[in-house]
Amino acid sequence: MVGRRDFMRGAALGALAFTIGGAQVLLTPREARARGVPFRLLQAREAETLEAMGETLVPGARDAGVAHFIDQQISVPPEEALLEARILNVRPPYADFYKAAIGAIDKAAAAQSDQRFAWLPADAQREFVNLMRQNKLQGWQGPPSGFVYFVLRSDAVDVVYGTVEGYEALGIPYQAHIMPLKRW
Amino acid sequence: MATPVKSGEKVDAVIVGAGASGSVFAATLAKAGKKVVLLETGPDWQLSDLISSDIWGRRIKAAGAPFLLEGKNPFGYSYQSGWGVGGAALHYFANFPRLLPTDFKMKSEHDRGLDWPISYQDVARHYDKVAQDVGVSGDAKAEEIWRPAGKPYPMPPMKTFRNGELWVTACAEHGIRLLPACVGMNSTEYKGRPACIYDGWCHVGCPIGALSNPIVTYLGEARRAGAEVRARSTVTRVLMNKEGTKAIGVEYYDAARQRHTQPASVVVLAAWSAQNPRLLLNSATPKQPKGLANASGLVGKYIMCHFASGTWALFDEDVQNHLGTTGAQFMSYDRYPKTSHKGAFGSTFIVAGSALKTSDLGGFANARLDLFGPDLHAFMKRAARGLTRLNAFGEELPNIENRVELATEKDEFGMPLGRIVHSFDEDAAGVWNANFEEGLKIAKATGAKEVWSGRGAMPTIHLMGGTIMGTRASSSVVNSYGQTHEIANLWIAGPGIFPTAGASNPTYTIFALSLRGAEQLAAKWGSIV
Repeated sequence: MVGRRDFMRGAALGALAFTIGGAQVLLTPREARARGVPFRLLQAREAETLEAMGETLVPGARDAGVAHFIDQQISVPPEEALLEARILNVRPPYADFYKAAIGAIDKAAAAQSDQRFAWLPADAQREFVNLMRQNKLQGWQGPPSGFVYFVLRSDAVDVVYGTVEGYEALGIPYQAHIMPLKRW
Repeated sequence: MATPVKSGEKVDAVIVGAGASGSVFAATLAKAGKKVVLLETGPDWQLSDLISSDIWGRRIKAAGAPFLLEGKNPFGYSYQSGWGVGGAALHYFANFPRLLPTDFKMKSEHDRGLDWPISYQDVARHYDKVAQDVGVSGDAKAEEIWRPAGKPYPMPPMKTFRNGELWVTACAEHGIRLLPACVGMNSTEYKGRPACIYDGWCHVGCPIGALSNPIVTYLGEARRAGAEVRARSTVTRVLMNKEGTKAIGVEYYDAARQRHTQPASVVVLAAWSAQNPRLLLNSATPKQPKGLANASGLVGKYIMCHFASGTWALFDEDVQNHLGTTGAQFMSYDRYPKTSHKGAFGSTFIVAGSALKTSDLGGFANARLDLFGPDLHAFMKRAARGLTRLNAFGEELPNIENRVELATEKDEFGMPLGRIVHSFDEDAAGVWNANFEEGLKIAKATGAKEVWSGRGAMPTIHLMGGTIMGTRASSSVVNSYGQTHEIANLWIAGPGIFPTAGASNPTYTIFALSLRGAEQLAAKWGSIV
């Protein structure tokens, strides 16, 4: 069991509680991906779509664990969720939105080229996303594609640029967590 | 099977919501010797919970029963609202501009919108008192070019950085004077709270208490004076006596979904502009079939918000955009007169200079929403040191069609969900567009390498109205203190009582009006209960 002290320390580093072999451990989404932590709610092909979409939106999102981040977040109670979807008025359970979005992406990709999004060539993926952000995809069935673009782009931005490592990569000080001197 | 109800010991005042306004009422009443209970639907956050991270900062945003969001410009409820003690003021930017005298007399001066039943001078003393209570930094004397004189702020202005300073000359060239922003933050140590270290994480909660969130100000005072905060307590109804003449307490559910009643001599609803109407409407009785304090039918009506026209400027030089505060280093009321923009009506409040972070809604990844892939990464590398923004906040006029109402769908406690219906009118769109046009001209004058307007869907910022104040029960819900016209011991606190929105960030006025109301309640207690 992850204690509060460990949780707070882990949170400052961007770690989340993942389940390995029935035990909860604190890992960053990047570490969870590298260690092959099983997904909680996503099917393998759904995670594959998310990783491909994340990587198209923000280079580095796949290795940063975007699919593990989303999977872990949609498995926790909505009030604990850290997804940008929460502040964009997506109605819980958030898994419903993500599964609908993933389904819409793959259906639209199949309608265009008889392939799932993850299997499209990189230039075709970029063209797909460019139409998606403008709500111009033919055969789209699901939440508005421009909104899906915004939410998934935000998730990818979170895992790539929103962490301490992301700030370091951009060359700007994170000015890390301020530890309170005392409580009032 | 019906859930057994636990009844608490009767208290003097039960306050629904432990955010900005509820905290002021709690502190004032508790210090006046009243037994006070605050019921807060979210967690009892501590300063150590306020992790400096955009990702973790979402924990202090809305949770619980959702609002259904409709209209041409649906209100962005979740980003604006709070969850837990401190409410939205736990993650506010602590910009502390006040309303100006013209905001109180819009109908009289322009035959538009509504008048307040009070003037600026009725609130001025409370603005000054709040500044001393919570700690405000700024230059009050300099602000006298825009507003009546008042007391000095207790602290000098905050430090400024290149990302703010470079707007000063460019704005001046367009007739806009930028002065040090007045903010509810510590430029120096104040009342045992440390000075700000300008790390730019204000918007996810300040864990050192340099920013005046309620935990370190009024809520802390309330607790020290004996007020009890009962977190994870979701109020569903105000309870009335059989005659329908007095509120006798509230019904609420605890974290274990156990139903309780909390008897009280006075009920104060301080759960923000959307939830207060939802509670009043859900508390209908045979004597008040349209909901409490709603004989006028105006409960939930005249919801208002602000909108912003952000203009970006990208430099090759390092503009120190990782330093500062989330809110603003400079401010201007020079476009505040309601007719500042030809063909549009409404005030504009301008701010410049804010620390930028990478992600979240305000992050600079969203400064170019059209970019993705390698193009986005290239932009992020440049923006990381060279990007800055001028922001112009606009006023939405009161419109009776913008409203909170009950939906048929219910939450886990059987309470109807609230629905917020919101659309901007042509005046708002006109001010929004005019501010973009002017912002672009100013940005070009900075000498930036690139400038552009941050256009997207018209944003909805802050939330006001829904239980507006006035002189008569036929045309308003509460009087100028927040006391409902129809039920003497039922009070409303917060921005819901604003009849007009102005263009200033609302929290300073929320604190001031709440202090005015709470002092009145304490002073007139004997005639009210």
